[in-house]
Amino acid sequence: MVSKTIMCPNCKNQITIEGSPGERKIITCPKCNTRGGFSFPGEGAISKVVSGSSAIEIHGLTKTYNGLKAVDNLSFNVRKGEIFGFLGPNGAGKTTAIKALLGLIHADTGVMKIDGHNMRDESIEAKKKLGYLPERANFYKNLTPVQTLDFFCELKGENKSVILPLLKEVGLEDAINKKVGNFSKGMVQLLGVAQTMIGKPSIYILDEPMGGLDARWVKSIREKIKMLNKQGATVILSSHILSEVQNLCDRVAIINKGKLIAEDTVSNLNKYLNIKPRLEITVKGLDGKVPSIINELKGVEAANAKGNTLLITCESPIRVKVISALEDAGFVIENIITIEPSLEDAFVKLVEGDT
Amino acid sequence: MVNFNLKTVYSIAKKEFLDNSRNKWILVLTGLFIILPLLISLAFSGTDKIFGGMDNTVLGLVAISSLLIPFVAIILGFSTISGEDENGALSVVLSYPVRRIELLFGKILGLGSVLVVSIFIGFGLSGVIITLAVGEASWAPFIAFILYNIGLGFVFLTGSIFISALCKSRTRSIGGAILLYFFGPIVGMFLMAIGAGMGYKVAEFQFPPWMLDYQIPLSPPDLVQTAVPVAYGTKVIEYSGMIINIPEYMTYAYFAFIQLTWIIIFIILGYLLLKKREI
Repeated sequence: MVSKTIMCPNCKNQITIEGSPGERKIITCPKCNTRGGFSFPGEGAISKVVSGSSAIEIHGLTKTYNGLKAVDNLSFNVRKGEIFGFLGPNGAGKTTAIKALLGLIHADTGVMKIDGHNMRDESIEAKKKLGYLPERANFYKNLTPVQTLDFFCELKGENKSVILPLLKEVGLEDAINKKVGNFSKGMVQLLGVAQTMIGKPSIYILDEPMGGLDARWVKSIREKIKMLNKQGATVILSSHILSEVQNLCDRVAIINKGKLIAEDTVSNLNKYLNIKPRLEITVKGLDGKVPSIINELKGVEAANAKGNTLLITCESPIRVKVISALEDAGFVIENIITIEPSLEDAFVKLVEGDT
Repeated sequence: MVNFNLKTVYSIAKKEFLDNSRNKWILVLTGLFIILPLLISLAFSGTDKIFGGMDNTVLGLVAISSLLIPFVAIILGFSTISGEDENGALSVVLSYPVRRIELLFGKILGLGSVLVVSIFIGFGLSGVIITLAVGEASWAPFIAFILYNIGLGFVFLTGSIFISALCKSRTRSIGGAILLYFFGPIVGMFLMAIGAGMGYKVAEFQFPPWMLDYQIPLSPPDLVQTAVPVAYGTKVIEYSGMIINIPEYMTYAYFAFIQLTWIIIFIILGYLLLKKREI
């Protein structure tokens, strides 16, 4: 970690921030709330980190389609053993970046390494360490799941004795004689998860693994990801289900329009973005009006009313004061919900702020 | 030097064979390969025998086989890259330690095996039945007939894989495959147009004498329709309603060379496109 003191361009306040070399941080000035981004310098520093503890390293990745930059000078590292969320709105460039990392598309510029192997000239070695599940996984409709995994075992030089345990592990043991063409979408996705585990890779890249699946399959895939990580694997998870990402991931990177706009833990992102917890209170007879007593209360940063619901933004210690004030004023409280800052809040704030 | 892992090629070929040999279309067409020779042989039958002779059957069959085999090969190959790219399977395979050249050769060998097996089962089985029933056969030209058809199949298979590598989607590949299938007749019409431009009365079947020299190498189905009679010792063929003497230089080696040239051209083009392809 390195620290850096920078000056707010608006109010000239001095702010000290900490981060890793090459990392980009979003900073909100505590004095005037001006938001901005800062990238810690150091190309050399990045490679130092990589050789030691990075499972995946992307540096300066750019990919252009018909003159439009789908990915623009993207750089980030994924540490060994972490679950790393890779997020962005639709069309942000996530899948392009993943495909470039895997060598499926040809990047204009950039260095990509998997477990220290440069994808440009050591791709075969790099791919031996990898398990990949694409956004739309489909397999060979005339083959059974056993024949499908048999094929992938051969490609990785893995013993075929793993096939039945793998199918059992993902819950497909009852479908071993069925053709994949007769599988449901969830079953195909689970077969996709099973194929990623062939050869016990140390790095998993999962692009929307839960996309379009019902709760039962989502739970199953979530458990698999946790289990793999527990066994020491690094997981890159690209998903639109932000609650899942928040629950599973150690760190996240958010990209928009091909550029990295944030990379940190969820709690740090919320801290930098100044996203506060909220209190949702249902008050009898509120009628869409915020009581004046709340507006006057010190520490309440924002208060809105909709029908009988009062939405208050404040730090945790203020919550008790808010509730007491309402009760003292004679309001009847029917329900209280506390909403902690979430990844969704950070995501929306970052992406909307970037638009 | 291009790195190449034969084990990977074999694994891909095996998968392609398993997946495509169960394709309903291929099963139906293999059935046709068995039934058609028997039907043609029945048509050539005399009063004392159920089936006609093998030689007549093969000469009658060659026109149909040169239409059917390109069709089977195109069905096997036209979406093998574009279709798998569209449905995501190709990105999974290429995330494994697989080189694109290994993928291409695995596909050619696997799909080619399906083609070879269906030709052998179809024509071979019917050949045996006819021979047993009639009790006479010229085996050498019959084997040449089968080999030329396998060659024809590989020309169209590699051609359709090239189309599949060229087209981004399965739908576009269908368009490309149709164009490939009718490439021979298109070349024929083009040559006739040139002949007409030179003053030949094409409508009255007066073609320029050089037409066969270009038509045979440029149209693989016409090549087989010429090569098989040559294998049976025929010196003249009927071409588009006109009797034409087959040039002396058109021998086994010439026909094999042309087929091989087409296959190599399509493999090189297919590899160059697959190498550049964004999956």
